[in-house]
Amino acid sequence: MIGILKGMATTMKHALDGSTFTVEYPETAPEVSPRFRGVHKFSQERCIWCRQCENVCPNDTIQIVTDDQRNGEQYNLHIGQCIYCRLCEEVCPVDAILLTQNFEFTADTKDEFAYNKEQLKNVPWYKDIDPLASREPDRGAWIGEGDGEVDYE
Amino acid sequence: MNWGLLQQANNSTNGSGNGTNATNASGGMGGGEVQTLPDTLASLLGLGDGPLVTFVMGIVAAGLVASFLLTLVAVSGIWGKRKITAAFTDRIAVNRHGPFGLLIIVADAVRLLSKELIVPDGADRPAYDIAPIIMVSSALLGFAVIPMGSGIQLADPEAGLVYVFAVASIASVGLVTAGYASNNKFSFLGGLRAVAQNIAYEIPLVVTAASVVIFAGSLRMSEIVAAQSATLVSLGPVSIPAWYAFVNPFAFVLFVAANLAEVGRNPFDVPEAPTEIVAGWQTEYSSVYFVLCYLSEFIHIFLGGAIIATLFLGGPAGPGPEALGFVWFVLKMLAVYLFTQWARSAVPRVRIDQLIEIGWKGMLVLSFANLLLTAVIVGVAF
Amino acid sequence: MSLEKPRPSTTDHVGVTEQGLDYEALADLLGDLVVGRESHINAEGFVVRPERVAEALGRLKQQAGFDHCSCVTAQEYDDRFESIYHLKKYADPTQEVSVVVPTSRDDPRSQSGNSVFRTADWHEREAYDLMGITYDEHPDLRRILLPETWQGHPLRMDYDQEQPQVVTFREHANPLKEDHREDDADTMFVNVGPHHPATHGVLHLKTVLDGETVADVDPDIGYLHRCEEQMCQQSTYRHQIMPYPDRWDYISAGILNEWAYARAAEDLAGLEVPEYAQVIRTMSAEMCRIAAHLLALGTFALDVYGDFTAIFMYSTRDREVVQNLLEDLTGQRLMFNYLRLGGVAWDLPEPREEYFEKVRDFLDDLPAKLEEYHDLVTGNEIFQLRCVNTGVLEPDVAKSYGATGPVARGSGIDYDLRRDDPYGYYPELDWDVVTEDGCDNYSRVLVRMKEIEESAKIIGQCVDLLEEWPEEEREIQSNVPRTLKPDNDTEVYRAVEAAKGELGIYMRSDGTDTPARFKIRSPCFSNLQTLPEMSTGEYIPDLIASLGSLDIVLGEVDR
Repeated sequence: MIGILKGMATTMKHALDGSTFTVEYPETAPEVSPRFRGVHKFSQERCIWCRQCENVCPNDTIQIVTDDQRNGEQYNLHIGQCIYCRLCEEVCPVDAILLTQNFEFTADTKDEFAYNKEQLKNVPWYKDIDPLASREPDRGAWIGEGDGEVDYE
Repeated sequence: MNWGLLQQANNSTNGSGNGTNATNASGGMGGGEVQTLPDTLASLLGLGDGPLVTFVMGIVAAGLVASFLLTLVAVSGIWGKRKITAAFTDRIAVNRHGPFGLLIIVADAVRLLSKELIVPDGADRPAYDIAPIIMVSSALLGFAVIPMGSGIQLADPEAGLVYVFAVASIASVGLVTAGYASNNKFSFLGGLRAVAQNIAYEIPLVVTAASVVIFAGSLRMSEIVAAQSATLVSLGPVSIPAWYAFVNPFAFVLFVAANLAEVGRNPFDVPEAPTEIVAGWQTEYSSVYFVLCYLSEFIHIFLGGAIIATLFLGGPAGPGPEALGFVWFVLKMLAVYLFTQWARSAVPRVRIDQLIEIGWKGMLVLSFANLLLTAVIVGVAF
Repeated sequence: MSLEKPRPSTTDHVGVTEQGLDYEALADLLGDLVVGRESHINAEGFVVRPERVAEALGRLKQQAGFDHCSCVTAQEYDDRFESIYHLKKYADPTQEVSVVVPTSRDDPRSQSGNSVFRTADWHEREAYDLMGITYDEHPDLRRILLPETWQGHPLRMDYDQEQPQVVTFREHANPLKEDHREDDADTMFVNVGPHHPATHGVLHLKTVLDGETVADVDPDIGYLHRCEEQMCQQSTYRHQIMPYPDRWDYISAGILNEWAYARAAEDLAGLEVPEYAQVIRTMSAEMCRIAAHLLALGTFALDVYGDFTAIFMYSTRDREVVQNLLEDLTGQRLMFNYLRLGGVAWDLPEPREEYFEKVRDFLDDLPAKLEEYHDLVTGNEIFQLRCVNTGVLEPDVAKSYGATGPVARGSGIDYDLRRDDPYGYYPELDWDVVTEDGCDNYSRVLVRMKEIEESAKIIGQCVDLLEEWPEEEREIQSNVPRTLKPDNDTEVYRAVEAAKGELGIYMRSDGTDTPARFKIRSPCFSNLQTLPEMSTGEYIPDLIASLGSLDIVLGEVDR
């Protein structure tokens, strides 16, 4: 009986002190940490079309089309299947890709999340973010390269 | 208005059985007849005293009481429950719709009613439809004899207490009907559990109530209330009234516990037991039928609260003028409701065999002991 | 170091010497059963004829003391199929041996090890399901992860992925068909799940009830099968596999899972991990353990208390604090992808002092919070009534089923890989392995709650170490080649103590930068097998409570 009363007293204490730990989203958006990995941002100006991000991506979220001179033609991003592992950002030699802190985006179907580079410029939640302004790139994670070939194709 | 008619039928039989409902001071002092709500309405409207007037006024009064209860359920069941649960779990809960999120009641009502009514294949049709109605009406019928203060009492039969327990336990029929008619094994298990539980806990409940009857010397609700208006002890300016909760706290605790089982709330919510048998007897009910099930649960909690308030907490008694009695009564009911939610937040559910064991081996014995003790005390002291 | 446990004397077992296992003695023990030898990275493999598997396993279990069949791996070579039984000892898991059973390609058929180790039951069913090896004398050889009507065995080399899986309704067994078992009209068949409030995901328990009592329960898994093993087989060692372990036990235990892969791959490729990175790994892994155990406690409370209990929200609130710490460290709240082969991805977040402060605040608040849980949960009389002596799992049964983690420790089995098969920075720290002898639901809950305290102790020591660490020695990754290509035909089986128990990875390399076989030994998979033992003959609520106390995550069971 004492145990039951203790338990009830505990919950009542919580009820009476009135503190809450949930927040009223979206008015008070939870703060994300500086390292947070959100929506992938691609900068065509910086990209040198080395295709390393495409190679490292575990589930083919990024698809790059180049011509026979290795000039970039198309950059397709299937953001709906991105798993936010950040390997593409780590591998990019020119900071053309950053995972921003934005995690709010929506569409009616998963297919709508497949974008090419023209569409990427017009996605409302995407177009205004400048990757470097949104976050400092962290190059520290990509150390210990060691020997081994670099996969420029 | 099924329940209204039933209440009325009951009401009119009372009226004729007791002879005239002579006017009397409302609030129910003394052992005489109290003025019931239909009579008050009739006299206010200047109508005479005849069977037709009693009939019509009875329907009107029953409608008023039922509407009030449904409103109370809407507020406390849809909005209050969320707020209370949120308070216990450190959350915020509804606050977007209207002031304090109160308009969620409207939104929820529309949502629930506009859902598709899915009737499972192979359901026993008339029984499946009737079951929720039985449950709701059994709970509402109980309120016919509850003196809610400020002159609100639909009828005051001599055997009021017996009547309340009788109609409240009709709900078991509804539960078992819902259980078997749904053609679902979880419903079936839930129905069986509900019946086993209600039988096990109805007896201690009634026996404990009988100890109150021994004190009050009457089964009439108004008299039980009146008997509690005396002063138990005076501590200077504060006088503690002779509510039976103070006179016999043991019976009070026993009754509150048994009542938790009767309304199926933690730790005795095994008939529903969402994590075990999905939702028990109401697994297959959706849309309007689900609303009825939901209503019946809450009205049963309030009926339980009303019985506790009447038997143990002095009914509508409280500080301030007698006209405030109704407010006090509702507050006491809500306090009992709050208690059930509180228990839900912190008390585990017992297992079905443990539940039956506690009922038959614990509660029953204790309630009879309490009855004997009370009888001895009353016999010696008075 | 308080980690020395009074080891039961294993010296009377064959092959145990002061210097470790004497594989020659084991070979003598097996005698003519052995037709060949293989060398895996941390265990010697004995090749055994397919029709004498049970005998070999039996001898190793009875006379050499290998009482833990950790995993059964099936794989395909160009010329043969192979089943590998990874055997260990509960008393000392560093003593390992593999029993390799090759079978022909035309008719892959070998004897079941089920008569020796009950855990082989599901493992062999999985091997049958995915690889198509038939196990003779298996009591119940049918598909386990895939639907019973599936055509083909998907991990075979010649499996045609494009082949349509058309199954007529008539062929599909209708789970609603049978109402009771055989001619026994007193029982009732109930499907608990796959959509049920208490199955913690999509688990389907085919339950036969006798009134309120459970007469028989048969877990049906595979609803969340996502081909994780195959995905890992298609990904590169160096980077692409690491994000996936987060998704096995996805309930905040990500870093623990990543460590399982990191440990196996580092052993496979012979990589060193800097000490500083080991400390960070240890700290972050224990944070994950706290988060996972808090959630286990909360959901168990849901199962026993009902849906409106406050405990679940309280544990979520406390878990939130850990998750914020992990987010600051790794950048994500669940799918961390924080470990790298040879170290970790990042150093601690700057400013370091602030981070240490946050961690210390969390550790300081923890005892009061745990006290609250003890008030709400373990001290509650009704909770004790519900959980003490229900779901009893005897130690012998638990060992036979290969139960590990809090489930084993709740049955009094003193087995914790962090201490018994040391890795990371655990051996240098001061902490204890928690065991309870109750063998019931209550003990398992108690073990988890006490492990939270132990994890907090470990984190506290790690924070002290990290704070003192000289700035110039903060090396977070060792020098690892960009492309890892381990030598051809190297085999490794390595396990770590994940939130739910022993999470092991078996890998075989074929000289390319992706594994030829990647097998996950999931602790939940083995633990869930014990459910019928625990709940048969008990009441439905006990079945639900036992399931909750096993703390399974279906993502890890089905992979």
